[in-house]
Amino acid sequence: MSGKTAYKTFKGGIHPPYNKELARESAITPCPVPAEVLIPLTQHIGAPNEPLVAAGDRVEVGQKIGGSEAFVSAPVHSSVAGTVKGIKEITGFTGAKVKVVAITPDAEQPDFAKQPGKDVDSYSDEEVRAIAREAGLVGMGGAAFPTHVKLAPPKDKPVDMVIINACECEPFLTCDHRLMLERPTDLVHGLKLLLKAVGARKGIIGVEANKMDAVEAVRAAAQGETDITVEILDVKYPEGAEKMLIFALTRRKVPPGKLPSEVGCVVQNVGTAVALYEAASWGKPLYERVITVSGPGIKEPGNLLVRIGTPMSALIDACGGLQGEPGKVIMGGPMTGWAQPDTATPVVKGTSGVLAFTADLIDVADEHECVRCGKCIDACPMFLQPNFIVQAVKKELWDKAEMWGAMDCFECGCCSFTCPAYIPHVTYVREAKADIAALKKR
Amino acid sequence: MADKMLLNVSPHLHKKNETISRAMRDVLIALTPAAIWAMVVFGFNVVLIIAVSCATAALTEFVMRKILRRKVTLGDYSAMVTGVLFAFLLPPTTPLWVVAIGAFIAIAVFKELFGGLGKNIFNPAITARLLLWITPLAIYTTKFVRPFYWRDSGFFTPIATSISNGVTTFKTLAGNVSADVVVHATPLSLLKSGRWGVSAVTGPTPVGATWTTSSGRPSLGSLFLGLKSGSIGEISVLLLLLGGLYLIWRGTIDWRIPTAIIGSFLVLNLIAWNQPFYNLFSGGLFLGAFFMATDWVTSPVTRRGKWIYGIGIGVTIFLIRFVYIWPEGVAVSIFIWNILTLAIDRYIAVPKFGEVGTTVFNKLPVLPGPAPQPAKKEA
Repeated sequence: MSGKTAYKTFKGGIHPPYNKELARESAITPCPVPAEVLIPLTQHIGAPNEPLVAAGDRVEVGQKIGGSEAFVSAPVHSSVAGTVKGIKEITGFTGAKVKVVAITPDAEQPDFAKQPGKDVDSYSDEEVRAIAREAGLVGMGGAAFPTHVKLAPPKDKPVDMVIINACECEPFLTCDHRLMLERPTDLVHGLKLLLKAVGARKGIIGVEANKMDAVEAVRAAAQGETDITVEILDVKYPEGAEKMLIFALTRRKVPPGKLPSEVGCVVQNVGTAVALYEAASWGKPLYERVITVSGPGIKEPGNLLVRIGTPMSALIDACGGLQGEPGKVIMGGPMTGWAQPDTATPVVKGTSGVLAFTADLIDVADEHECVRCGKCIDACPMFLQPNFIVQAVKKELWDKAEMWGAMDCFECGCCSFTCPAYIPHVTYVREAKADIAALKKR
Repeated sequence: MADKMLLNVSPHLHKKNETISRAMRDVLIALTPAAIWAMVVFGFNVVLIIAVSCATAALTEFVMRKILRRKVTLGDYSAMVTGVLFAFLLPPTTPLWVVAIGAFIAIAVFKELFGGLGKNIFNPAITARLLLWITPLAIYTTKFVRPFYWRDSGFFTPIATSISNGVTTFKTLAGNVSADVVVHATPLSLLKSGRWGVSAVTGPTPVGATWTTSSGRPSLGSLFLGLKSGSIGEISVLLLLLGGLYLIWRGTIDWRIPTAIIGSFLVLNLIAWNQPFYNLFSGGLFLGAFFMATDWVTSPVTRRGKWIYGIGIGVTIFLIRFVYIWPEGVAVSIFIWNILTLAIDRYIAVPKFGEVGTTVFNKLPVLPGPAPQPAKKEA
């Protein structure tokens, strides 16, 4: 962080305290199977899934339990062998109601039966997309966009580059770091599959400079692969935001409101690439993922291989439980994650972290009038003007809010992080987005 | 457990020590060396002026916020900063009751009546100073003295002035007339009146500087170190520069504004060959550039806005000093550009990331009909 580094980066952004050392050294361990899993039927952005099971049904590990015919959707698979208790509605991690399949796992969980697939080099692009879809792959960095949709860019936009987002710029999180250290070869194979799916010739793995051991591991694994390079990026948040990452690596700028395919790029998360490899070579659907359990409120922070639908409390228990005065439990990273009312919320495919903050760490203050310091504007990686968006939202001037860039905000939270007046810009931007969308619909 | 957990929207981290009070404390820290130096140069009177200014500012803010039913936020130190800055703009012989009136106007009118910190469109200290300048009170605020004048009357015998029929009387607090103190011209007023020659030293308005060159000019070193006559806070360019660099290093102020002001002013003076370095080091240029123009609330928020604002101020100071024969050039320039800040923020566009084509101006606002009501949100 100090001095001039020649690493690639973008303009704007912030340097939050990273706290990665809490969980960096702990190897991935399986999380015990809980007494009940609650698997949300829809875990992606797009059309909701329909349940394929009913109460009383037997399910096996990896059995499809929810699906949809719509293109922008990803099926959901059972993460345990057991009996379906029923389909009910709970409050999901975003606070909205979600339909979940409640499953009581068997006492003995069989290992997933690996079905040896074809050699990864022999798949066609069509087949890779089909595998991604059938395995229920979504972006595992947090946004949970169905992977097969990303892998089918518009015909008039040729993709020449696949970027693996290995920045992990969110503080505390280390799950991608551990994956790269422990399974670099699988990552490289996953990237090769991704390259094949979009017909690209160049694959880049972008890693932040605070994970040099991961860089070495992946470089060693990619030895001899002429079309794959590992690039080191500056340690800065939000380096892992799609548009920032593309710009840092290629100097291409994705226009506002456009997708990365506009500039010939596809960005995928480390976890997604590894999961794609697993799906292609073992026939394994996405029913478990690596999650970092960390934060000062956790006794023994670590990285767990967690079955989707496990309640957060089971993860916390597996890491020694809570310590100190509990203040906040977050699903996801500290910059973009969601604070949870309790620890019963089940983890989903997009969950990369479960964090517990002690009460003394929570830095909240009353919202002061904006003092126009301009720090939010300096920090915004999208060059928006967050303070004016907030003003416009307060006055309900939605056209103004749009002019200052409310719709282009991807809610990284740099503005709120750096605001001396403690204005929660992201809250206002969400309100603006919802209301502008509602106005446009009419 | 559920009732204990804090629920709020991301981000869940906040930059450590990034608060308004931290920034304001930084400004006070940055101003301290210049304040101490002013006490050394101008005597105990400076202590009293700063104290009265701060006390009045704090009290006014407290009372005004009570009256206006706002939360009292003395803890953010913004009133203190205004108090110190206002004192810094005054000549060292200003009577204390004038100080109190000025500080009251600064806070009550130019801060709280505009809506408090964050809503004021003018820098309170500067505006109050300009108001004093155009009112009859000005006669009490335009008398400058030479450095270390207190050697004759004693450090702890502060001086009050009174003026009748154009004759300035200097008195100690005890009421004794102190005849040793003479009104001295500031380097800037000398520059203005074209009295750079030897006559300046021997003439009716002597140069208020400790060191002069053989031709009678205040030496550059005298100007830079602050051994000159002038307002309390503006005398030592060196200490103001150090304070300003501290603020830039702490991230409290933006480097673009002082750079633009000083840079554009110096360049124009070099082009016109208008005593460039004397002009740069005399008057309140550094105080204005580092501490007044960089005021968060009254300067533009965008990077390119800050450049426009800074260069605008530099050019305006140059015009005022070079074309017009006006004192208070820095204060007037900053005041003018405070007004223009709103326009800069509104109309100078900043292209979003990846936006094609460079837009210089924002689209003019469509005059709205009744504000469209958003559709009812689902709970």
